Amino acid sequence: MEKNTTFLWNRFTLREALLLGFCATFIVITRAALRMKLGLPGHSMFFMMFFIVLARGCVPKLGASTLVGLIAGVVSFMLGMGKNGPLIMINFVLPALFVDGAAFLYPLLPARLMPCIIVGALASATKAITGVALDFLMGVEEEIIVQHILITTTFSSLFGAAGAALVPSVVRRLQANRLIPSPGDNHR
Amino acid sequence: MKNDSRNRPKKVRSSDYACQFREVDSPVHRMGAGWKLLFGMVFCAAAISVREPWSVGVVALVGAVYYGAARLTLWDLWRDVRFFLIQMALIIGLYFYKYGMDGLWPGTRTSIQIVLFFIPGMVFLRTTQTSQLMRGLRKIVPYRLAFLIFICFRFVPVFARDIREIAMAQRIRGARLSPRELLNPRSWRDLFHCLMIPLIIRALKTADEASLSAESRGFGIRPERTYYDPEGVRRVKGEG
Repeated sequence: MEKNTTFLWNRFTLREALLLGFCATFIVITRAALRMKLGLPGHSMFFMMFFIVLARGCVPKLGASTLVGLIAGVVSFMLGMGKNGPLIMINFVLPALFVDGAAFLYPLLPARLMPCIIVGALASATKAITGVALDFLMGVEEEIIVQHILITTTFSSLFGAAGAALVPSVVRRLQANRLIPSPGDNHR
Repeated sequence: MKNDSRNRPKKVRSSDYACQFREVDSPVHRMGAGWKLLFGMVFCAAAISVREPWSVGVVALVGAVYYGAARLTLWDLWRDVRFFLIQMALIIGLYFYKYGMDGLWPGTRTSIQIVLFFIPGMVFLRTTQTSQLMRGLRKIVPYRLAFLIFICFRFVPVFARDIREIAMAQRIRGARLSPRELLNPRSWRDLFHCLMIPLIIRALKTADEASLSAESRGFGIRPERTYYDPEGVRRVKGEG
């Protein structure tokens, strides 16, 4: 059998797809663990951004983070996690799409500290989009929407940046041990 | 007589966390998932469009009846909506800051509308079993993606057990991984170097083994879903 047959989206091998599925599993587990322990707003972004950025480091292909976000979103929704119902999927997919886009423009992202912090903070802030849409639908005034979103996304961004900041050291260690591909390897 | 209190059934709170499936029989439980989603869409549209106090009241009443028809308790409602309390306080506070007393009603109305908007989703999750959702998912999601979603479900308890085992082993070696120690940010270094890296290495190894195992059975070589048939393999080999 051919060794590197693609399994999903003409891009990921079965091994890569499974690894990304496991990253999604870790997001679900840490989210479930944290909701029992902490009550801080936005804290779930810490591990979510860690695993979403790490997924892109482990499988350096376009769409890796998005796949993790998609699977984690669907599983979280099906397990009834989070108060937002089906909207929870958007909260997972949007940050993942942002990370994928950033890593497409800057492929060394998962191994660099400052870019990780910036992308982690901005990707976490995309969570605000659902909040803005909802406030807008409810007829809230623009000024109040801005103030509301600023307050709620500050915590998410801080936690997201902290989670993403931990990725480079982990990625570099995995790369040094040749467990994941290094930047020198050819990938899309 | 003393045993009476022990024999008395314990007062059980019906849910451990928000939106947990509640195993009771109710008209809403018996409704199809499609009908629940349709009702939810109509209800959400109503929750968005109401502005007057009487119309907000009517939608809230319908929501309460729907929630009650699912045989969900006030405790369940508290578990489901308590996350919104901070949000409600924030919105009412912002309106009050801007308009004073005149801002109280718009702030309260918006907060109530946001809670009402999520009521159908809460009822859906509380009255629809995961297996039912999975069956529905299988019809609309390509099998390769559905396979990954099922794998994610399947490995939740496996990796949860792995995390516990690795954490125990590392704590014996002196890593600061107890819940109390993890509240201190200085322990987070141990969390990542002693727990996350071994966990990721285990995930890499498991992905290697599982993909080899599945590929050796021919999984994923055809566009449609196939199933491993040992009898068929034996026949092809000429053993049967």
